[in-house]
Amino acid sequence: MALDKTIDPSRRSSRPLAKAGLQSERLLWPTKGPGVFEQEVENLEDALGLTTLEKAVAWAQTNSMWPDTFGLACCAIEMMSIVSSRYDIARFGMERFSSSPRQADLLIVSGRVVHKMAAPLRQVYDQMLEPKWVIAMGACASSGGMFNNYTVLQGVDKIVPVDIHVPGCPPRPEALMEGIVRLHEKVMAGVPPAYEIREVAS
Amino acid sequence: MGYEGVPGLVETREAFGETTLVVDPAWLLEACVHLRDEAGFNVLSDITPTDYLGWGERGVAGYIGTPSGRDINAPGSQGDSRRPTTKPKRFSVSYHLLKLDGDPRRVRVQVWLDDGQPVPSVVRIWPTADWHEREAWDMMGIPVEGHPNLSRILMEDDWEGHPLRKDYPLGGEPVRFSGEE
Amino acid sequence: MATVQRRPQVYSGTRIPEPIPSVLHAPEELRRSGDLLTVNFGPNHPSTHGVLRLVVDLNGEHVVGIGAVVGYLHTGFEKTMEHKTWWKCITYPARIDYVSFQYNELVFVLAVEKLLELEVPRKATWMRMALCELVRIHSHLVYLGTSALEIGAISMFWYCFRERELVLDLFELVAGARMHTRYFQTGGLAEDIPVGFYGEARRFCERMPKALDDYEAILDDNTIWRQRTVGIGLLSAADAIALGQSGPVLRASGVDWDLRKREPYLAYDQVEFEVPVYHGGDVYDRYRVRMEEMRESTRIVAQCIERLEEMQGEPWIADDRKVVLPPREELHTSMESLIHHFKIVTEGYRVPEGEVYVTVESPRGESGCYVVSDGGPKPWRVKFRAPSFVALEATATCMRDAAVADLVAIVGSLDGVMGEVDR
Repeated sequence: MALDKTIDPSRRSSRPLAKAGLQSERLLWPTKGPGVFEQEVENLEDALGLTTLEKAVAWAQTNSMWPDTFGLACCAIEMMSIVSSRYDIARFGMERFSSSPRQADLLIVSGRVVHKMAAPLRQVYDQMLEPKWVIAMGACASSGGMFNNYTVLQGVDKIVPVDIHVPGCPPRPEALMEGIVRLHEKVMAGVPPAYEIREVAS
Repeated sequence: MGYEGVPGLVETREAFGETTLVVDPAWLLEACVHLRDEAGFNVLSDITPTDYLGWGERGVAGYIGTPSGRDINAPGSQGDSRRPTTKPKRFSVSYHLLKLDGDPRRVRVQVWLDDGQPVPSVVRIWPTADWHEREAWDMMGIPVEGHPNLSRILMEDDWEGHPLRKDYPLGGEPVRFSGEE
Repeated sequence: MATVQRRPQVYSGTRIPEPIPSVLHAPEELRRSGDLLTVNFGPNHPSTHGVLRLVVDLNGEHVVGIGAVVGYLHTGFEKTMEHKTWWKCITYPARIDYVSFQYNELVFVLAVEKLLELEVPRKATWMRMALCELVRIHSHLVYLGTSALEIGAISMFWYCFRERELVLDLFELVAGARMHTRYFQTGGLAEDIPVGFYGEARRFCERMPKALDDYEAILDDNTIWRQRTVGIGLLSAADAIALGQSGPVLRASGVDWDLRKREPYLAYDQVEFEVPVYHGGDVYDRYRVRMEEMRESTRIVAQCIERLEEMQGEPWIADDRKVVLPPREELHTSMESLIHHFKIVTEGYRVPEGEVYVTVESPRGESGCYVVSDGGPKPWRVKFRAPSFVALEATATCMRDAAVADLVAIVGSLDGVMGEVDR
């Protein structure tokens, strides 16, 4: 492709991640090496040494990861717009937002989680079947955002283990999609879901 | 429009183009019925409780952004030589009324209360007051007498304390920076 | 009330439940018979209005009891804003009603300007009006997309969000952010209007009515849509006024009341637009009111663009250096500007003592902001009157004789945004 010509061949990795979204960074910055995320994912992939069967399972999981409708506040509106035709999340197989947590794989916590909502959030998370992943979308879900008061949970990772934090207030639909793509890459590399890694809140 | 006929009227204030009628809490129901039926204020727009604990302890002066306050050479405009006007009691509850008509008008009915002093419910007069009064109880701890369902609405049912009071702390956590121990 | 008496009431008498106006209680015999099923439409449910919880008593398919539980998104805006300076406060209101974000900023900024008695240049006034009408279109598009999705007209979601992306493109062009732009400042706008805006906005105004024609072609005379919405969720004019309703819910019940016409703010008395009023008081009429409002908003935006083009080169923010930051070029040369900049950014400007209550016509109804200032750099009390808060009180009245399927349609038509309800 024409795009390949601008990238320094010695720096070009043959791994899937390098061909996916993050390639755009190197179009603007041709001498850039692999980013920290890419490097770590590649190292993990080598270290974990997945079998072909596990890779096939991971491929199936990422290509049809159904999100749960957990829209809370402003980020929910941007989450709805990734379903819309311009940002089309159906190309990742994720357009089927499942209202029942039993049939969902991915919990995108979009919006500020307040004390009163913490219990329903944990209930929904517990009802999901494993393997399950959590994306904390937006500043409020990641860390409480601009609200540091008596009622907003300072980060949803206090009650559920989070795989990906997506910054922004609200994050652009493209930003959320980058978060989703990175999650897919993590899963393809063989990284276990957060509840197996994190000691907190699992 | 003259508001002299409002029962229990203590004071009328005009500021920023708005009229505030300060009413004795014991006469609140009669005043509201009078305003709804005689004066035609058929919509209750909002009920706002306010806590004035700590009002006036900080002086205000100097860099005030009003036409009068922008002259920094005027006497009394520097330093802490001006305090805001004192308030009669700790809590005020403001009822914002609207006359929905060809000739619309707004008025604010204000009552002043001590801590724990109840205010009668105006649910019978304007049914929309239901949730507003519940919020006043939940957030500020203003007991509403005669309310059919006075329970917490925004906070959990077993929450202790009334968050919007001035002696209730803001809460939250100290921010931890990455790289710190 | 002249408007009400001219048309027959949609039902006689009042249907507001007693003793609690916002809770419908099942009749005693039904409760004792044991035939009731209590279902919890919990805070997490597919209806995209956010975290509303409805506890519903069902007798077969019919709703005989309903009560709403809110507070699952109570963020403590009002308390947080008491601890921030007036300038930093402006970031917060946009997140209250996150679908019509510009309106909360507008109402707060108007309240502060009223206390300051600050005069805003006309360019800022007209641009505020244009952006607010664009946000009205955005809000109604989200309403239409999600309500139609819930009732079953699933493809409407994609059509509406396609146009919504155009509105958000305009916002991104002007302010750099799609939502929560924080473009309004006390005294005017944060920055000048960028060059490409007028052309893009004009193109949008030409495109929007055609899109609305498409939506009407899909839904207006659609048998299924009409069966699901006509005669559902009735609310008479008298009940609507007693319940404090405003906005499209009130206008669909036959009351001709729009703050833009009756108590004009910004420059609404200088633009031509109509206010749609329907008399059915049902879900269908609320849908019709919002569709027509989108058309009228497009008209207003087109008129604003024309006026704004004449004002190119004019100031976009007031000149008062005690409140407004000086232009950055001056900071290099003028000591006074540096001092003003420093004082405003660190300590904040002080707003004189007083209390005001300002209302605007947001897409959901009468949105108000009550501000009490003690003359200091931080607000003493800020309260936002949320139209959705009041609209949810009307749920019990609208839900009389409703079936489960109608519940979704009615809650959608009241168009509540939970961020606003819970603040």
